[in-house]
Amino acid sequence: MPLVEVRKLVKRYAPDGPNAVDDVSFDVHEGEMFGLLGPNGAGKTTALSVISTLLTPTSGTVRVNGFDTQASPMDVRRNIGMVPQDLAIYNDLTAQENLRFWGEMRGLHGDELKREITEKLELTDLSDRAKDRVQTFSGGMKRRLNLAIGLLGHPRLVMLDEPTVAIDPQSRRYILDWVKQMSRQGVTVLYTTHYMEEAQELSDRIGIIDHGKLIALGTLDALTQTVGENETLILKLSQEAGGAALSEALQSQETILQTSASDGEVVVNVTSAEAALPLVVSQASSLGLNIRTIDIREPNLETVFLHLTGRALRD
Amino acid sequence: MRKLWVLAIKEVRVTFRDAGALVTMLATPIALTLAMAAAFGTGHSAPISNIPVLLLNYDTGSMSHLLLDVFQSDDVGNLVALDIVDDEAAARERVDAGEVAALVIVPTDFSARAFPLGGRIETILGVDPITLSPDTELTPEQESRIAQAFLETHEATPDNPAIIEIYASPDWRIGTAVVKSIVTQALEMMNIQVQGIMQVMMKLAPGMRQAGQEPSTMASGMENSFGGEERTTLSDLPLRLDITSTTGRSFNWLDYSAASMAVLFLMFAVTSGGRTLLIERQNGTLPRLLVSPTPALAILVGKMGGIVLTGVLQALILWGATSLIGAYWGAPFTVIIAIFVLVLSASSIGALISAWAKTPGQAGAIGTAVTLVGAALSGSFFERWNLPIWVQYLSLATPQAWGIEIFARLQSGKGLSHILPWLGGTLLLTCVYYSAALLGFRRQFE
Repeated sequence: MPLVEVRKLVKRYAPDGPNAVDDVSFDVHEGEMFGLLGPNGAGKTTALSVISTLLTPTSGTVRVNGFDTQASPMDVRRNIGMVPQDLAIYNDLTAQENLRFWGEMRGLHGDELKREITEKLELTDLSDRAKDRVQTFSGGMKRRLNLAIGLLGHPRLVMLDEPTVAIDPQSRRYILDWVKQMSRQGVTVLYTTHYMEEAQELSDRIGIIDHGKLIALGTLDALTQTVGENETLILKLSQEAGGAALSEALQSQETILQTSASDGEVVVNVTSAEAALPLVVSQASSLGLNIRTIDIREPNLETVFLHLTGRALRD
Repeated sequence: MRKLWVLAIKEVRVTFRDAGALVTMLATPIALTLAMAAAFGTGHSAPISNIPVLLLNYDTGSMSHLLLDVFQSDDVGNLVALDIVDDEAAARERVDAGEVAALVIVPTDFSARAFPLGGRIETILGVDPITLSPDTELTPEQESRIAQAFLETHEATPDNPAIIEIYASPDWRIGTAVVKSIVTQALEMMNIQVQGIMQVMMKLAPGMRQAGQEPSTMASGMENSFGGEERTTLSDLPLRLDITSTTGRSFNWLDYSAASMAVLFLMFAVTSGGRTLLIERQNGTLPRLLVSPTPALAILVGKMGGIVLTGVLQALILWGATSLIGAYWGAPFTVIIAIFVLVLSASSIGALISAWAKTPGQAGAIGTAVTLVGAALSGSFFERWNLPIWVQYLSLATPQAWGIEIFARLQSGKGLSHILPWLGGTLLLTCVYYSAALLGFRRQFE
């Protein structure tokens, strides 16, 4: 039995509004690291909120460890640890007080709580700052504490909602390594991100979500196979404004499969980079555009997303 | 239950670690209490009419008639509604019940004590001394007897003053002040009249002057006392004005402003506390709490419990601090009960605002407006009883008004039984606001 079962999930905020999550179904298995990948506003956080019982679904069902989120929300909550995108911690409390408070809220107390606090402080390298108020912490330290709170009580499922948004590369690396370590320890992880690299690096299986719909689901290999052996050219232009014109010009060429442009960057999906490159360079030259860099990439989630939606993931 | 306590303690801890909140909660109300007490002292001013007053006159002499004349004069007539009574016990009961502002009691031997020479002159001459004029002719024997009587009565007066008692109701603070003023005015008039008689007697009985006495040095016993604490010499007659009440305490701006400022800033703190629910939702801590294995209602109750606990601590600290500077709040046990009920009531307003506001900014603006308008209506900055009656009734929609009424009663020395109806009213108001808040919370968090 999967740890998480999502069946035909629909979530609409207003009765006559659009579906934020639209007929989504997927499973997350015990011990699996499942990534939900999609651009901002795709419906990732809404889906996670329904799974965590914070929101009620408009239709469809969600089960966690066999418990229905609507019928048995408290049982579901006992099985999950949530790491929200926001720093959901109290700045006026110390790190230790935060862990104690959130531990108590999870039902921990006594020696078990003390043990958990010590363990999490060590895990986050915050033992020496345990009695300092969180407001004196750096952004990265706060992120680590935010993450540690989600792990209190050893939940069976840890849900992380874009935990690396707006942090420095060092803290990001720390968090990614930590998530991998959790996964190695057998913790089931449901992770949302709009960073393709993170989903590729972390996830056993990936669900790609766009406009509320789950448009692809599978392992990284399985997903990249859907776009065949195609390659991707990423061109960075000196003139930001010229990207759209180049994309449009290339779109009409037979050897070009797909193109998209944003912020002076043009993504071109081609069957063979070597064959397409002279054409791309000459088109840019004819439009008076200077190419600063060209990056050739093997099939990846970016190309999968481009293939499925006709847009780059960051659009 | 444990989670409720943990939530409440977290709330208290977070609030008391916020320096800005401490300034609002504690430093500002104490500073304002001192400022208001310094500005207003213990004075009263109120355009009031028809204050119900009882007069019980045991005196058979002519001096007390002056008092009656003053009460019934044109100047005073519209200020008070005087009722002359003869049953002291029944009259005192009416004061105790708050039916009338005060009972003025003139004792049996008032005239004899206030102006003992007057009685002796009346005996010697066979006429009321007030009817004497400089043209009245006296025999040498009468002159001699009057001079002798003067010396004897003067020596007897200082330790034996005549006492007029004003038995006042603490519910009629301004009324009591008006009655005190009228009686004081009457005593001054008595003094002037006696001085006049003395001038006449000097002329009629030169032996008095020969005794080496001047009218201005006659007696110095007339005093005014208020609650047995304040004594001021008003004139030269051996008269004393005692103002007593069912409790023995009187209005004091320091007391009043200590409690009213505490209630006002309690409202600020508690409405601000309610706002933190919206802040927590915005910061993500509330959603995180809601996905922990803790029922939503327990989170709400724990959160509100923390706000109430914070408010109680704030009020206790203000009580302690203002007591140190001399403010009296009432008997400790009843003050604690009143504080708890009032904080609960104030928290209902905080809950109501945060339940229906959409953002913390909106809740903050509404909270400030509600608190300040409530303060103006309920009399946080001036004596509540000076306000028009309709404003006094309207203000009962605010916890501040109930708080001021309750503390005023406690400060006048009344006990728990006297404030029970007010506590009940406050709790009823609290239930109404919390019910409306629950509807809002249900709407918000669903």
